[in-house]
Amino acid sequence: MPGSDKETDLTERIEAFLSDLKRGGSGTGPLRGSAETARETTALLRRITAQARWSSAGDLMEIIRKEGRRMTAAQPSETTVGNMIRRVLKIIREEYARSRGSSEETDQQESLHKLLTSGGLSEENFRQHFAALKANVIEAINELLTELEGTTDNIAMQALEHIHSNEVIMTIGRSRTVEAFLKDAARKRKFHVIVAECAPFCQGHEMATSLSKAGIETTVITDAAIFAVMSRVNKVIIGTQTVLANGGLRAVNGTHTLALAAKHHSTPLIVCAPMFKLSPQVRREYTINNSNNHFVSSGEILSKVNVHCPVFDYVPPELITLFISNIGGHAPSYIYRLMSELYHPEDHEL
Amino acid sequence: MASKGGKQSRSDRKGAGEQEEEEQPLQAVLVADSFNRRFFPVTKDQPRALLPLGNVSMIDHTLEFLTSTGVQETFVFCCWMASKIKEHLLNSKWCRPTSPNTVHIITSELYRSLGDVLRDVDAKSLVRSDFVLVYGDVVSNFDVSQALQEHRHRRKMEKNISVMTMIFKESSPGHRSRCEEDDVIVAVDSKSQRVLHYQKTHGLKKLQFPMNIFHSGSDEFEIRHDLLDCHISICSPQVAELFTDNFDYQTRNDFVRGILVNEEILGNQIHMHVTKDGYGARVSNLLMYDSVSSDFVRRWVYPLTPESNFADHKGRSCTYSRHNVYRGSGVSLGHGSQMEENVLIGCDTSIGANCHISNSVIGNNCTIGDNVILDHAYIWNNVHIASNVTISQSVVCDKTVIKEDVKLNKQCVLAFNVVIGPNISLPEGTVVSMHHPEEEEDDDDEFLSDDAEVGHSKDKNKQKGAYRVSEVGQEGKGYIWKASSLDDTEDEELSQCLWGLVLNPDPESESEASEPDGPDDPVIPSPEMDDVKVFQMEVLGTLQRGLEENIGCDNLVLEINSLKYAYNITLKEVMQILTRVVLDYPFQQQGSQLTTSQYVALLLPLLKKWAPVFKNYVKRAQDHLDCLCAFEEHFLEQESHWAAMVKVLMNMYQLEILEEEIILRWFSQGATTDKSRALRKNQGLQKFIQWLEEAEESSEEDGE
Repeated sequence: MPGSDKETDLTERIEAFLSDLKRGGSGTGPLRGSAETARETTALLRRITAQARWSSAGDLMEIIRKEGRRMTAAQPSETTVGNMIRRVLKIIREEYARSRGSSEETDQQESLHKLLTSGGLSEENFRQHFAALKANVIEAINELLTELEGTTDNIAMQALEHIHSNEVIMTIGRSRTVEAFLKDAARKRKFHVIVAECAPFCQGHEMATSLSKAGIETTVITDAAIFAVMSRVNKVIIGTQTVLANGGLRAVNGTHTLALAAKHHSTPLIVCAPMFKLSPQVRREYTINNSNNHFVSSGEILSKVNVHCPVFDYVPPELITLFISNIGGHAPSYIYRLMSELYHPEDHEL
Repeated sequence: MASKGGKQSRSDRKGAGEQEEEEQPLQAVLVADSFNRRFFPVTKDQPRALLPLGNVSMIDHTLEFLTSTGVQETFVFCCWMASKIKEHLLNSKWCRPTSPNTVHIITSELYRSLGDVLRDVDAKSLVRSDFVLVYGDVVSNFDVSQALQEHRHRRKMEKNISVMTMIFKESSPGHRSRCEEDDVIVAVDSKSQRVLHYQKTHGLKKLQFPMNIFHSGSDEFEIRHDLLDCHISICSPQVAELFTDNFDYQTRNDFVRGILVNEEILGNQIHMHVTKDGYGARVSNLLMYDSVSSDFVRRWVYPLTPESNFADHKGRSCTYSRHNVYRGSGVSLGHGSQMEENVLIGCDTSIGANCHISNSVIGNNCTIGDNVILDHAYIWNNVHIASNVTISQSVVCDKTVIKEDVKLNKQCVLAFNVVIGPNISLPEGTVVSMHHPEEEEDDDDEFLSDDAEVGHSKDKNKQKGAYRVSEVGQEGKGYIWKASSLDDTEDEELSQCLWGLVLNPDPESESEASEPDGPDDPVIPSPEMDDVKVFQMEVLGTLQRGLEENIGCDNLVLEINSLKYAYNITLKEVMQILTRVVLDYPFQQQGSQLTTSQYVALLLPLLKKWAPVFKNYVKRAQDHLDCLCAFEEHFLEQESHWAAMVKVLMNMYQLEILEEEIILRWFSQGATTDKSRALRKNQGLQKFIQWLEEAEESSEEDGE
């Protein structure tokens, strides 16, 4: 039966994706950037939309929520997955509303008055069946995919507005977005980049190699030297793992130090973050990865110590000057607004 | 069709290493049996592969490792309590149709060693290409793909020379996850990573290396002691064949030793792969259990962490917070209780007030009372612990009940269903089980006892009478397994082995308790006399068969030769034994009351028949003498048949087995005892010698 065949194929794909996510971030799984994860998640959601059995928007949302919960649970530190699920849910809501004929705007604006009078937008509103809904949703998801494809380029395009000749730029660790951003600027301007190595994983080394290959003057410093060097720096440009709802960051360990040093010297701190990194979460989490650490050689000591190797820092919004996303630059105080544009408030908790 | 597409893309993503020219899925052989009794009173109720480590069965850890490293087909071999393992696997995520790793379960009660398993692999021809070989109690997060790539590359460069790549982890001596009894020293060719010498140190201070390993052409060697054997190896299909060819290989050690010793003959080589990061260890005893568990909780095995719920149990997820504290769902913690650090608590466990818990793992559905102190405690599922209990570095198995005011000192083990207390303190290293230690010896042979057997033994328990109050407390149930009486040394060994605390092991007790080791093991006594006797019997059998089935002399020689190597017999001994056997043959067949003439009549045709066999061995002058000595010995024992002696000798002379010169020399020199002098005075013999001397003289004259 082709139907059941399709379904087993779908579940197989979901399982494969889940196990990849679980192993992600370590050496054993396939190493991917968050952009790739976002694309894969969206592609998988498109497949679910196309292949799962559903008759109304409500069913589909339920399916996507169910799978979404599993996906986010598989790798809680990878917020991109949850963000893409919320985006798709939002798309379904919009398409449903459009099919029903009501305008998007009225649905989107949740005024206090409306909240009080309507008694909440409940699920039964999504029970109506529309033949064209599936095609429309898939169409909209395709648009989202195209948007995702272009994010890094869109951000990099803005580079010339922010980087000027003979500036000294500092960055930390390795971010693909920042890498593309700097390389784009390097085509027109000459500037100097200082990379903090970001021990113990030292992704900064990779970053520096890649930048110097592109012909950018690059210096690697240890994390401890960040404050000392900061006085010479004109701008700090960093990437992030997640942009939190309050405009704060969850970024690679060491970023907080960097941000504080930048604040002390009043150096502008610019964060390159595509929109898909925007997460409605505010919760701070704690992730430790001990897998490849450098204490392994000293065997006897190891038995007597606890080794903690946190992966992420929380950076409060006050320390951030500007976000550069694929749709332009925003202040941290504006993030809440973007959040409500991107995600439906009911989807914040999956 | 569609599903194939899915697999394809998966393996594509796995990296270039795997699918160079062959699209063969990577296979693995998982041995879910330890073939020893290290965990004994515990494994009597549950096989080792199913013991929980961080609240997940060990076999799930191993399967997760295999799956994440890209294995697509796994053969699980079970023996002890195979049905339980099978049931567990069928209910796990590995047997779901969506699992990327197809698991086949193969059970047999006949497996007694790793060798048996691999021979079965060969017999059923399960593996098609290189495979990963692991035990069911290995915990690891390695990515073997690099090692696999190296292995395949080597095999492509030199056709099928390298048969195995062993994976080692770099870790200096003193590392927690290094197991004393698994300490190895490895000599390796640093360029090709070829293993030249592999030896377990067993706490030895002096080690010897055969010189020839340093003459093998390469100019750089490393002798390393900073390696931890992860018990993960990448094997070629030939490994299974080699196990079949060499039926005496029992363990991987035997195999490695055999390959290294016979390298020149067979041309097979073993290589190794050393990794610096990553984690890999085998839970071979409780001390290792302790250290691997704490490493797991301390996230050294990332991404295999307690909160990742990789075994995919429904509702078994747990949350992770600072100081490595993990809590399952539905955990309740009483007022004033502290979870200090490195604590993992399973689902629906409730903990009373004012407890101190550190470095411990607590299973699901446990109840813990007030004022309990747990340090390095491993508490499995459904355990009931009353108030005011102190436990340090101990293992408490499923469904155990610990009553009030009990203190478990270090390295106690409470096996399944035991009840302890109240008001008792168990001394260090106590092992308590519901199985009586003596009953253990009763069904020693029936190692594979099934459930019926267990029920049966329970009845026996009752017969054996009540539990000793002094040992397990007033309401306690269970028997102490520790050697309280010194005469029972075997038990002492057992409890030590459980924790693997053999720090300065005298080699005897060590290897006896572990698996039967290889040929150079000091324990196995090989008294030479026995071998010689067995060899004699074998030769007799061979000749007998040769006579019955009319086998040609060439083949007889061949068989005797192979026997000679099998029992390690010198050529001189072969000669003497052969002579003795042949001369003795008529007596063996017809009984000892033969008359002399009958004896001669029987023997002469035999001698004629087997003359080529003799000629094959009796070549140099010394050989002749040896042969004659045996001849003499034989007749010294058979005084009544001295008359036959001369005829036999004559016959041997005529058949050109013996030369006259040597016979003369023997006659003149050989006499050392009175009896042999008497033998030489035998009339017939003297006549024969005289005749020989004359014949010689005449031939000399002829020559002149």
